[in-house]
Amino acid sequence: MPQLTKRTSYYTLLLPAFIIYIAVIIFPIFMSFGLSFTEWKRFKMTGFIGLRNYSEILADAVFRRSMWNNIQIMLISVLGQIPLGILLAYLLHRKWVKGDKFFEFMIFLPITISSVVIALLWNRIFSPVGIYTTFVRMITGNPDYVVRIFESEKFAMIPILVVLLWQHTSLYMVIFLANLQRIPNSIFEAALLDGAKESTIIFKIVIPALSNVIFTSSVLAISGSLKSFDLVYAMTAGGPVNYTFVMALYLYLHTFTFHNYGKGSAVSIIIVLLSVGLISLVRGVYAKAQQRYE
Amino acid sequence: MSNRTKNISTGWVATSYVLLIIFSLITILPVAWMIYSSFKPMGEIMLHPLRLPTQPSWDNYRKAFKYGNVVVSFLNSLFYSGISTFSTIFLALAAAFALSKFSYKGSRVYYGLFTLGLLITVNSVITPLFIMETTVGIYNTRLGVLLPYVAFGLPMSILLATSYVHGIPDALIEAAVIDGASYLQIFFRIILMVSTPVLATMAILNFLGNWNEFLMVFTLTSGENMRSLPVAINSFAGRLNEDYGLQFAALVIGTLPMFVLYLVAHESVIKGFGEGALKE
Repeated sequence: MPQLTKRTSYYTLLLPAFIIYIAVIIFPIFMSFGLSFTEWKRFKMTGFIGLRNYSEILADAVFRRSMWNNIQIMLISVLGQIPLGILLAYLLHRKWVKGDKFFEFMIFLPITISSVVIALLWNRIFSPVGIYTTFVRMITGNPDYVVRIFESEKFAMIPILVVLLWQHTSLYMVIFLANLQRIPNSIFEAALLDGAKESTIIFKIVIPALSNVIFTSSVLAISGSLKSFDLVYAMTAGGPVNYTFVMALYLYLHTFTFHNYGKGSAVSIIIVLLSVGLISLVRGVYAKAQQRYE
Repeated sequence: MSNRTKNISTGWVATSYVLLIIFSLITILPVAWMIYSSFKPMGEIMLHPLRLPTQPSWDNYRKAFKYGNVVVSFLNSLFYSGISTFSTIFLALAAAFALSKFSYKGSRVYYGLFTLGLLITVNSVITPLFIMETTVGIYNTRLGVLLPYVAFGLPMSILLATSYVHGIPDALIEAAVIDGASYLQIFFRIILMVSTPVLATMAILNFLGNWNEFLMVFTLTSGENMRSLPVAINSFAGRLNEDYGLQFAALVIGTLPMFVLYLVAHESVIKGFGEGALKE
């Protein structure tokens, strides 16, 4: 075999990955952007319509509801999963409990289950023959109780949010636990010797030490929240009515049911812009917080 | 003073137990309920939802295998996740070697582009991807699923692999160069061999992610024989299915393979997610 030059070896190693990546991820992003200004009828592109797809989407009450539902998912992720994840990680890290490995094993288990299975399982739990319903019947003594509250406009998102909290908190727990183990134990011991309270340790030592990880986790949580599809699709498919619609579902509807690729692409672009905006916002908050600690 | 610290600790110990037990129970109870219900006939589930099966039977599983195309979708899932995981980690490690040990100026740009991919979700490209695959003729083919699986696995894998390969001593590579080894030989004989820990992490993260992936298989394939397990389960045991026993059996089938993997390798899985998902 003739020896490749250094430069040729470099590209032989790099390009296979790079070409697949560009073809499947970067190129389609630009194509999405272009498509978002086009009109489609019966599987055919019929013309360039400027920003009309965007104005139609933003004027659509279903889309606005979807966006609000995505924001709720984001809030439960950033303000629910992450703080709970920190708390659980800290409790496990301090080794106050026996069998911490068992707890870790059990709490992390949902991460290995597919969202479709989780969605269908929790639907059963809230169904008339589910654990939750049976439990409420036993407590209240009302044998005919069925869960109706989640059919209302106001509370329809609650089951989805609860399941998301259950499904992903453990991911952050495990991430924070791995990073807590990098903080030298002597720091905790010194603080305890000085008579510091546990809450002081959490707020003055743990959170500042983890601030980088908290920031990256928030970024992941935001981009994850804006893409949620599987769980919502399998659990409610956006219903009842359209109370639990999310942006990805709206996108799916336009691209794959109506074959309106222009509108579908415009939704993609809105999701990307929203994601970039929210992440910059978190970056700003993070920079402010860091200034305060220094 | 020591007394005071001890008191504080007791409170925290109790809180820890309560919280951890609650969190464990809301995993154990639903999962146990799902498993034992799958051995109950429909009528018994309706009458006594929480009771253990009085006469456990495999009927629901027989039905699931008969109507649900379970074997084909299981093999599809194995194929999609296995091949894409293997390709992703191999390509990612090769790229990581190039990016971290060749000291070319362009490397920073390539690396930046790859890490940008961490923020791009399937939603943002699914419409063009569908059009592209239809045009090229790989819509509803296994290749049409594998390519996006590999591409979406690359950003995180390259991030992990680059930080690992970066830590391999340059002296090791320089010595091989002096001995007359080519760069590709160095990749296969040295880099690949010393990178097993990071390869394991990458393999776990990619395999689990692809095994549970739904949207791409759902939208980029249409034939029943192309489906992966999650898509098959959703279509034959989905929301509108009224045979609860069958549905539970389907859910158990969907959970079991990953559960076994987790049981055998939970330490590596937890480590993989903990250290893998967020390296600074």
